[in-house]
Amino acid sequence: MTAKPGPRYLPGDPPPAEDVARMIRVDHAGEYGAIQIYAGQLAVLPRGTASAAVRKMAHQEEAHLDRFARMIVERRVRPTVFAPLWHVGGYMLGAGTALLGAPAAMACTVAVEEVIDAHYGAQAARLGDREPALKATIEEFQADERAHRDTAMEHEARRAPAYLLLTGAVKAVSRMAIWISERF
Amino acid sequence: MTESLPALRDEILLAALPHVPFDGWTRRAMRRGARDAGHDAAAADRAFPYGAADMVAHYSDLADRRMVEELERRDILSMKIRDRIATAIRVRLEQAAPHRDAVRRGLSVFALPSNAPAAARALYRTVDAVWIAAGDKATDWNFYTKRGLLAAVLSTTVLCWLDDVSDGNVETWDFLDRRIADVMRVPQIAGRVRGAFARILGPFQGRTYRSAGYRP
Repeated sequence: MTAKPGPRYLPGDPPPAEDVARMIRVDHAGEYGAIQIYAGQLAVLPRGTASAAVRKMAHQEEAHLDRFARMIVERRVRPTVFAPLWHVGGYMLGAGTALLGAPAAMACTVAVEEVIDAHYGAQAARLGDREPALKATIEEFQADERAHRDTAMEHEARRAPAYLLLTGAVKAVSRMAIWISERF
Repeated sequence: MTESLPALRDEILLAALPHVPFDGWTRRAMRRGARDAGHDAAAADRAFPYGAADMVAHYSDLADRRMVEELERRDILSMKIRDRIATAIRVRLEQAAPHRDAVRRGLSVFALPSNAPAAARALYRTVDAVWIAAGDKATDWNFYTKRGLLAAVLSTTVLCWLDDVSDGNVETWDFLDRRIADVMRVPQIAGRVRGAFARILGPFQGRTYRSAGYRP
């Protein structure tokens, strides 16, 4: 071990290369899931300001997904095995919350983006001074996700029924999906 | 000795291959290989401390690397996908031809239940190397279907090749072509299944991703 500052590795932690592979895998899976959530919302939401905002955010997530997909190919990272689950699960989450009304759909976005914001923040901190290009990408996307959260807040996410319960549940699901996608 | 451990492993393994048909994938074969390569016998123990499955896994890894090198030389990216895959398998088997008996004994090591994880990992690494060499860019579940289908093709073709006594292994290459033709039919079958599902679900499908006016 060198005395370089940076993240501390404990026995049993994945080695640095695998650590980065995990980050790319989970981020790719996350953007994929996000697109599916927005797609589910768009299938239910009536045309209007809310759906226009969602469509705009979905476009940004597609750009994010493309970047991570390219990294997966270049760095030969195995994509997550659970892509089909996120495909269906994300869509159901989006459609399900949108069925509760536009504010609930926005509350779902707030919850997901808050988890992702914290997740990207933790990744950037974990990278320290390794992988500057990857870190810059992560920080750029983190800013986008935070903007999505603010957009959703402006669209009256707070008026969703059982706001705290709903966001709490969505956050728990998102964290579980992150945990699974990192590993598998 | 300044040699790196992976290089030492390659060197000892290659030198040991002629001994494997007689001694099996054993410490004894590795020690003989080490001596043939000009090392002391202890180097073999140092290079392969985990026994037979480790040796066979390293053989598979070495064979993968040699296959990828050869494929890069042949510029397979200019071929059709099915030819890329067929060429890759063919190259790998042709390179293994001088030590077919070692491969046979290696498979029986891998067939032990306790070595199943190592065997699965080695097979995965091989099909992964083939698909990467073939320029695969899948990032969704196709990544796994492609590797799974190729694993089935590769493992059956190896079994055919082991017992192939025909001139120039014609039988194996015919077998390989038929297996790849089987795989090429999978998308057709999947399409038929999807069509059937769509007919059943038709009335229940409301507004979907595309019909909601979302255009990426």
